[in-house]
Amino acid sequence: MAHLNNDGVADVLAMAFMFVMLVLAAVFMHAYSLRPLRAATDRQLELKSEHLYMTMDLAWVDPYNVSFLRATAENLLLEQPIVPGPHLRSAMENVFEYLCPPRYAVAVSLSYDNALWELSWPEGAGLGVGADKQFTRQGGVRLTLAGGENIAVPVTVRIFEIAEA
Amino acid sequence: MTLTQILKTLVTCILVISFLLVTVSAYQQHRTLSELAELSDATSSIATRLSVDELAYVDNGGKLHMYTLDPSKLEGLSAQWEIGGENFEFQVSVRYEAGGERVLGPYGSIPPEGKARCSFTVANALYENDRFLPAKLSVIVWRT
Repeated sequence: MAHLNNDGVADVLAMAFMFVMLVLAAVFMHAYSLRPLRAATDRQLELKSEHLYMTMDLAWVDPYNVSFLRATAENLLLEQPIVPGPHLRSAMENVFEYLCPPRYAVAVSLSYDNALWELSWPEGAGLGVGADKQFTRQGGVRLTLAGGENIAVPVTVRIFEIAEA
Repeated sequence: MTLTQILKTLVTCILVISFLLVTVSAYQQHRTLSELAELSDATSSIATRLSVDELAYVDNGGKLHMYTLDPSKLEGLSAQWEIGGENFEFQVSVRYEAGGERVLGPYGSIPPEGKARCSFTVANALYENDRFLPAKLSVIVWRT
């Protein structure tokens, strides 16, 4: 085996550097190519949150003829809402269990003045405010009170990634 | 040429060939993933158009109810659309719960084997028996 002089050591170092550059370039190129797919997946989840909000706004609570969000606003502000609170929570949890994307949680919150109504599914998932990946749809429900006062109750529906333990 | 020079030349050649292979492979992967992302966006477009237009319920007064599906529109649905200059085919089904899960469909073409497909499910309301029910609209889309 030929003995390595100073020039030989420099050549070996240059080749080792090129090898490291090759590995790094491969890692970066492959990691970068995943970005469009991740972005498309996020756009789909954004769309899912929009659809979930609209579904809660339009679909009725069985067996009543009132939508989920309207029933929730009534529970928040009226003394005698059409849908009783426990029935509404149970029905909403069932709907979220059916409609929520896998590996994601969903939270609904309505607030008006000091009154607050919140629900999240699965139980204990929290509201997802600080979640790394969350898709939020905000809107409002219009409600006419007994005195004829017409108010808009702000609504937030949030889909968020369940944090792994 | 000494043995050392031959080894150095050989290693350099191997590194250059490896770099070219990695670049070509990354480019091919990027192209494949970009095509999948485009398919995913086309799927979202199809699901949206179905929800707000093609399958949307129209009441007796002629009012269009976006995000509310009309089951009677499923059967006459055309399952081949052009989006952004590309042709896509799809299969659609609607699921809802009424004393157990019920499935409407699938309607449209049969998904082909060996082609990239994208499936997407979104929530919608469903107008059924004079009630608005929570439901899931599922679409499977592929390039024609």
